[in-house]
Amino acid sequence: MTQPLLEVNDLHTVFKTKDGTVKAVDGVSFELNPGETLGIVGESGCGKSVTALSIMRLQRPGKIVGGSVVFKGHDLTKNTEEEMREVRGKEIAMIFQDPMTSLNPVYRTGWQVAEPLRLHHGWDAKKSMVSAINMLGRVGIPSAAERARDYPHQFSGGMRQRVMIAMGLTTTPAVLIADEPTTALDVTIQAQILDLLRHVNREFGTATLLITHNLGVVAGMCQRVMVMYAGRIVEAGPTTDVFAHPKHPYTWSLLRSIPRLDAERHEPLKPIEGLPPNLIDLPNGCAFNPRCAFRVERCSRDTPRLLQVGDTQRAACWVTQSGAELKGA
Amino acid sequence: MIGPSRVAELEMPGAAVETAAGRPAQSYWNESWERLRHNPIGMMAGVLILIFALIAILAPAFSAVITHFQPQSIDLSATFRPPGATHLIGTDELGRDTLTRLIWGGRVTLGVAFLTVGIALTVGTATGMAAGYYGGWIDDLLMRFVDTVLAIPAIFLFILMSILIHPTPITLAAIIASVGWGSVARLVRGEVLSVKQRDFILATRSIGARDFRMMFRHLLPNVLPVLIVAASLGVGQIILIEAALDFLGLGIQPPTPSWGNMLTNAESYFYHSAWLVYFPGIMIFVTVLASNVFGNAIRDAFDPRLKT
Repeated sequence: MTQPLLEVNDLHTVFKTKDGTVKAVDGVSFELNPGETLGIVGESGCGKSVTALSIMRLQRPGKIVGGSVVFKGHDLTKNTEEEMREVRGKEIAMIFQDPMTSLNPVYRTGWQVAEPLRLHHGWDAKKSMVSAINMLGRVGIPSAAERARDYPHQFSGGMRQRVMIAMGLTTTPAVLIADEPTTALDVTIQAQILDLLRHVNREFGTATLLITHNLGVVAGMCQRVMVMYAGRIVEAGPTTDVFAHPKHPYTWSLLRSIPRLDAERHEPLKPIEGLPPNLIDLPNGCAFNPRCAFRVERCSRDTPRLLQVGDTQRAACWVTQSGAELKGA
Repeated sequence: MIGPSRVAELEMPGAAVETAAGRPAQSYWNESWERLRHNPIGMMAGVLILIFALIAILAPAFSAVITHFQPQSIDLSATFRPPGATHLIGTDELGRDTLTRLIWGGRVTLGVAFLTVGIALTVGTATGMAAGYYGGWIDDLLMRFVDTVLAIPAIFLFILMSILIHPTPITLAAIIASVGWGSVARLVRGEVLSVKQRDFILATRSIGARDFRMMFRHLLPNVLPVLIVAASLGVGQIILIEAALDFLGLGIQPPTPSWGNMLTNAESYFYHSAWLVYFPGIMIFVTVLASNVFGNAIRDAFDPRLKT
């Protein structure tokens, strides 16, 4: 195995609110290898996006209070703001959930796609525009040269997401962070954008960190997946193994709560009981324990660490770490 | 490439409709201009201001070719002449040609008004932008300062500063702008706070843009419509303030004519030489009215939802 491209170690990001400190990211560690697609799944508010923003140091008003983000051998958390600007958009690019609002409404799309080139390579308007038009074509925008002169409001949602992807790729970054890139799009367009991301991953060799709450997207896109709950990673491993034999009750419940084509008819869906915990005041022990069907006495006392469970997976669960299987209920 | 056929099939119909309906690529500015163009009263007001401004700029040519008088040339043999052939709208107590003085006065009055708006917008925008963009203690500091400036009774400040500084058109503009920038700063800060929340600002940060670029390349164009409206409505207000100061003898000092100080002299002679009051008064009235109407028209053009 080669050196990981991006290594996140024990990252802690907090938000200070008047009600207390929100531990949005609470000791997240993972690595991203060159050319791979890594998925982060979890429900709303579990810290997925803040993890991504913390990598780029864009987590304001949140604060990184611990851990490191090592990218190509440098700890980004120790970079100055000026050094960070060199990384953003040049080495690590990011695309966002809502393509309808992620483009500046007052500028032509070509100008915006070319902006990273002007910022990072110092290219002039003409040279960067040629490159931008080329990139717009490569992400599947028909008659890119004409469309580059259009304003964002003249594009459909899917087309705008293509524009965002083109903007991210102009500088051929090593890492592309896609924060819920398909959530705001309808299903057919979702499929096209995922196609495009897969293609980008292959053609440009860009390592992709794909953040989503959609398990189906992960299944189709990612070699490895991490499941987040309440600011922590509760399970990680190769996507096929995690989906076939979940080693954390949260993953297990998530998989049971989505409809399956091969399920018995009239079999009801099984939602996860209860609500996600309050990040200011986490339950003692494992954060998932109040909602967990496999809870044992130790779960509300000690917090489990993410350890090897089975051959390929890691899970933060006392039950599976002791060798028990997750079945029934 | 990425299934171009699929792209064409799924996405082109939507895109094609836009062009097929005969609506070519239209920017926000173009659309606003179109709306403004179809507002006849607003356009009339705008054209009127433009004409006044042109006349003011060309004042030397007017006094050479049309009136044949200089604004400060005294002719004691021709005082209080009513409107007539030589003096189209009469003369004042020193025999100076009223029309010439009105044109040159417009030069001063409009010049001060535009300069004031320029200063107030520049200072106000910079302050409001910094306060809104950086937030935190910078915001607190700047906005408390703005609160302080706006809490001082303006007329008192104008009087004090006019006594301390000899009012020329430039210093007078600075004096009026020293209060006017405060409300611009508040306006800009409010807009910036709202625009800052939008995703494209985060997206722009994520490509590595510096603060300066964020503020002036990405935020400023998005607050520009508000600024343009504030500017066009501001011109009217400032002309009124300036006229009031001139009238009180605290603004532009005679013999330099301005619409305001022409009224100062005229009040004493109202009963026998009413034209001395009417013409500067009408000019102030019409210009302020046109400025307000035009300001409203621009606001409606930028944001049709606000139209009542």
